[in-house]
Amino acid sequence: MDTFIQLTVDALTLGSVYALIALGYTLVYGVLKLLNFAHGDVFMVGSFIGFGTLQLLGGSSHPVVPTWLLLILVTLAGMAGCAVLGVVIERFAYRPLRDAPRIAPLISALGVSFFLVNSMQLLFGATPRTYDTFSLSNGALYYRGIDIGNVRVPLLRIITIVSAFVLMVVLWFLVNRTRTGKAMRATSFDREAAAMMGIDIDRVIVFTFVLGSALAGAAGVLFAMRVPTQVTIGFIAGLKGFTAAVIGGIGSIPGAMAGGLLLGFAESYTQGYISTKWSDLFVFSLLIAFMIFRPQGLLGRADIRKV
Amino acid sequence: MTDSTPHSSHVPAEGPAVGQDEWVARHSERRLIRGGPLGTVEQRLRGVPWWAWLVLFTAAMSLLPFLSSSGYVQRVGFDTVLYMMLALGLNVVVGWGGLLDLGYVAFYGLGAYAYAVLDSDKFGIHLPTLVSIPSIVIIGALAGLLLGLPSRRLTGDYLAIVTLFFLQLFQTVTTNGDNMFGHNVTGGPNGILRVDPLHLFGHNLAVEHSGVFARSYYWVALGFFFVVYVALRFVNHSRTGRAWRSLREDPLAAETMGMPVSWLKLMSFAFGAAVAALTGTMFAALNASVFPLTFYFTLLIIVYTMVILGGSGSQPGVVLGALVVSPLLEMLREPSKARVLFIIALVGGSLIAFRISKRLGIVAGGTVVLGFAVHAIAGAIDSSWVAGEKSGGVGGAIAHWVVVPAHLARWLPATTYIGLIVAALACSLARGRLRIALVIPTLYLASFVWENVMLTNPEPARFIVLGLVLIGLMIVRPNGLLGERRVEII
Amino acid sequence: MRKGVALLLTLTATAFVAATAQAGHRAAAAQTASISCKSTMKIAFVTPLTGGAGFLGQEQSSWAKYAVKTLAPKLGLKIQLVLGDTPVEQGPAPAQALAQKYVADKSVVGILGPSTSGAVAASSQTYFAAGLAHISPSATRTSLTKGSPLEATAAFLRVVPGDYIQGPSDANFMISQLKVKKVVILDFQEPYSVGLADAVETTLKAKGVTTIRLSAPNTTTDYSSFVTKVPNDADIVFFPTQKPPDAQTFAQQLLEQGKKAKVFGGDGSNDSSAFKAAGSYVSNFAPDITGIKADAGIIAGWKKDNPGKPVGSFGPPSYGAVQVLLSAIKLACNADQGVLKARHDVLRHVKQVVIKNWILGGTFKFSTKSNDPLNAKFYIFQIQSDGSYKLVG
Repeated sequence: MDTFIQLTVDALTLGSVYALIALGYTLVYGVLKLLNFAHGDVFMVGSFIGFGTLQLLGGSSHPVVPTWLLLILVTLAGMAGCAVLGVVIERFAYRPLRDAPRIAPLISALGVSFFLVNSMQLLFGATPRTYDTFSLSNGALYYRGIDIGNVRVPLLRIITIVSAFVLMVVLWFLVNRTRTGKAMRATSFDREAAAMMGIDIDRVIVFTFVLGSALAGAAGVLFAMRVPTQVTIGFIAGLKGFTAAVIGGIGSIPGAMAGGLLLGFAESYTQGYISTKWSDLFVFSLLIAFMIFRPQGLLGRADIRKV
Repeated sequence: MTDSTPHSSHVPAEGPAVGQDEWVARHSERRLIRGGPLGTVEQRLRGVPWWAWLVLFTAAMSLLPFLSSSGYVQRVGFDTVLYMMLALGLNVVVGWGGLLDLGYVAFYGLGAYAYAVLDSDKFGIHLPTLVSIPSIVIIGALAGLLLGLPSRRLTGDYLAIVTLFFLQLFQTVTTNGDNMFGHNVTGGPNGILRVDPLHLFGHNLAVEHSGVFARSYYWVALGFFFVVYVALRFVNHSRTGRAWRSLREDPLAAETMGMPVSWLKLMSFAFGAAVAALTGTMFAALNASVFPLTFYFTLLIIVYTMVILGGSGSQPGVVLGALVVSPLLEMLREPSKARVLFIIALVGGSLIAFRISKRLGIVAGGTVVLGFAVHAIAGAIDSSWVAGEKSGGVGGAIAHWVVVPAHLARWLPATTYIGLIVAALACSLARGRLRIALVIPTLYLASFVWENVMLTNPEPARFIVLGLVLIGLMIVRPNGLLGERRVEII
Repeated sequence: MRKGVALLLTLTATAFVAATAQAGHRAAAAQTASISCKSTMKIAFVTPLTGGAGFLGQEQSSWAKYAVKTLAPKLGLKIQLVLGDTPVEQGPAPAQALAQKYVADKSVVGILGPSTSGAVAASSQTYFAAGLAHISPSATRTSLTKGSPLEATAAFLRVVPGDYIQGPSDANFMISQLKVKKVVILDFQEPYSVGLADAVETTLKAKGVTTIRLSAPNTTTDYSSFVTKVPNDADIVFFPTQKPPDAQTFAQQLLEQGKKAKVFGGDGSNDSSAFKAAGSYVSNFAPDITGIKADAGIIAGWKKDNPGKPVGSFGPPSYGAVQVLLSAIKLACNADQGVLKARHDVLRHVKQVVIKNWILGGTFKFSTKSNDPLNAKFYIFQIQSDGSYKLVG
């Protein structure tokens, strides 16, 4: 039973990060019908920006601000940095290709992804970097927490899960209760009609990228708080985030959240109960199965292709 | 819309010709006939049949081992020929079938691993080459059909992801294949060693002589390349090829006209995979080993860049793309050669951007002057700022002109690199005089970053160049060098 | 745009021909096999300078450069060190390409490395066929020199012991000193860790210790679910990672989940700045050389050239490898009376090299039975509460 609780906690932690990444994919796909291959690498850059900010604020051994403020500042820095990066990528790599055949921005995205990974490697080397949150507040983030049965859920994990949840709620609010959010939903439904209704498509797309990339940046920081980060994590994270988005139904925001959590659970339980070696394989098979049998995912709309 | 007055030397507008009929687009190009002797030459050249070009090209390539006795150069040549074959195969799927196949190099790996399993000490099977290679081609085709099955229901982006997952799957299976239900099938991360060399005409073709690459492999590879090129060309000019073309231009119309769309997609996957598998066997035979990590994302991007650069859909194009990219990647590994390439790129880029004009003169002159000025000032402030190691050689001149500090401050590489990106992006946004004013310091900064940051780390640097080429290509010239312009009918 | 295409083609063709001619010319000019020992000879160091294992190559190359700088003049040789990069992500291809390159360059008389076992397996045949000795300071995979089929050739040598020593030595330490009853063994689905994990598991099982084997994909970053699988009563988790921060994280997550097991890392986990969880263990093929008095001069000199960098554990064996290689070249030059007749002369003399006051302690000699060092052993350290490594076995 303890194992089950522990695995569930792991699943929630993993799943929240996947959900944040998946949200970025879903948002961009909804508006641009483009799979942003570079999204996983934006996630990676976010974790590094967080690392840099952490060092600027004194590092985890001698922070100049209290721990709670430190974590918030680092997360905000990651989000802001990635938002800028996302906007730049959109403006220079995707916008010129908006009217090109569908294959063009996809290949451009591949190029951006390649460029980002290798640039980071050029500048920061390939050694893993750790935030070393263990040293903060004398390990409070690891030792203090809530007890469920015999299992203690450390503070750090609670922070991860809660922050992700808060961000998702904020996103939901922004998308469903603001005008720009409405414009975004309209654009994802039918871009030409939205343009004809007077919506500034460019601004909406920039807004979308800001949101999606900021979430990826937050995911990167939350991830790196527990686990060392390196330049190569973007590829797999991107694949998994995309899997989550598709399973949940691409284009649907609650779907991305659901998909992310589902993926976290699938991975955690597979590794825990079945086998650690083949957990990746199982996850991929899940994706293939969904794509073939239920391409609209769990919560997505069945795509009616208009002639 | 284009200006299609006859006998004008005005080149049609670049980028996708949206809303224009393809026949008109091609026809208007045909009407740009140049006069004079150059025009006659061009007309004559156009009349030369394709196979003549191919024979000439192959003959010229086969002279490489005589031009250079260095085993290293011949080895690079061999790798280039393999890349050409891979590009031809990918061209079938992406260029002719119009399907974004991101799992392509998995078929390459499949061919290599299949050969390693069938012709090595691993299981003690040593099939004769003339049996194993055709079998592997067939296995590859079948695998392509298998991967193509999901393509029937999936559109472009989804297909891309599924094929990418297939690549990841291949990677996972080969890496963990040393413990599949207790059997060591793929050798796991250690790969499979001691793979047999090719066995042709009665004897084993040794892969090396005293460690030096054996030329015979180069010629064998060229032979395969020739066969593949001809075979694919015949396929393209058959009914299947024409069906592919119609499918690519407008899938809905094709389906309405009764084309077997699913079957066509499967066929393109199968052909591409077969070619990749064939190339894989050559790779495994020469290296006498296979390892999982070779067949992964980086290789995929390299092949894609070749296809896109050359022009997807055009066979001579993708061959040219491979011919350009493969030696380029190899040369970028070495700082002295990379410097030369950088100068060529800068000069070539400026020529194309500004053409022979006053502006070009201002830019060139300004950059050179700026360089000397900065060098002098930096040297005056602190001599260690210009005291770094400089090498000689052809590119050495630039190493002396730009500032090479003895020790790079820790924050310097990152700030200058990001600064360069910002400056370059700003240049693309600026217009007129502001643009010229921005270009000059940008060019200087580029030289500085190249020399001090990228050349010290050539491995990621060359991939950065590749990524930039890919992005730039899609924005500026998506049809590559020799490809046809895709027309999207709205 | 056709003009642009023509321009590009012309430029490409020119560059291609120029590069070919240059390379060909160099090779042709150096066709004469014999090299005067008074001329500048080259040795090439094949190591991962970038990529996931880049820290390894950077550390090793700094020590190799220092060694060439100080040792070559002492031996009366003019040596130029060339570096070749084999990023681990690209698999064996860079190693094979570099092998071809160095074989073609006749002024290269010896090879340092390859540093990674995979690169050795991929290129040893080429070097052997060309008669080039390749001495590695860190490729410890057992199957390179022992077992069947041998993955490397007779031209491959190493100055550090193989994993076939590390595995049993770690396991025996666990049994005799730590008195373990239950051990969890993790591998990362790549050659180094799988080989090491297998060796440790075999030895432990033979002595009756309960072992649980787990396997993590090489791309794993979050080991939480693996930590969950560690039983509460396990004594040790053998974690042969090549990324020290991962070992640190794993140790922290064990504490987080209240498990009593301690992390035991291999030689790839050595990094006192990244892996410093108190109570953990690490094994290494070299002691901390700052404790060896005879090395004080070398360390001081290296520190002057590399300010602010820690001494590290991968660097000193590279110094040692250079020393062995240069000594072999010197022996060959002496035997050939000043003009090296062929590259394999160096290879023939390598195993005769004996070095007193070896940088890693004691006297260095090759074993007569294999191309590994004689009587090499692994050292085991325990991480103290202040993060320092203390020798315990």
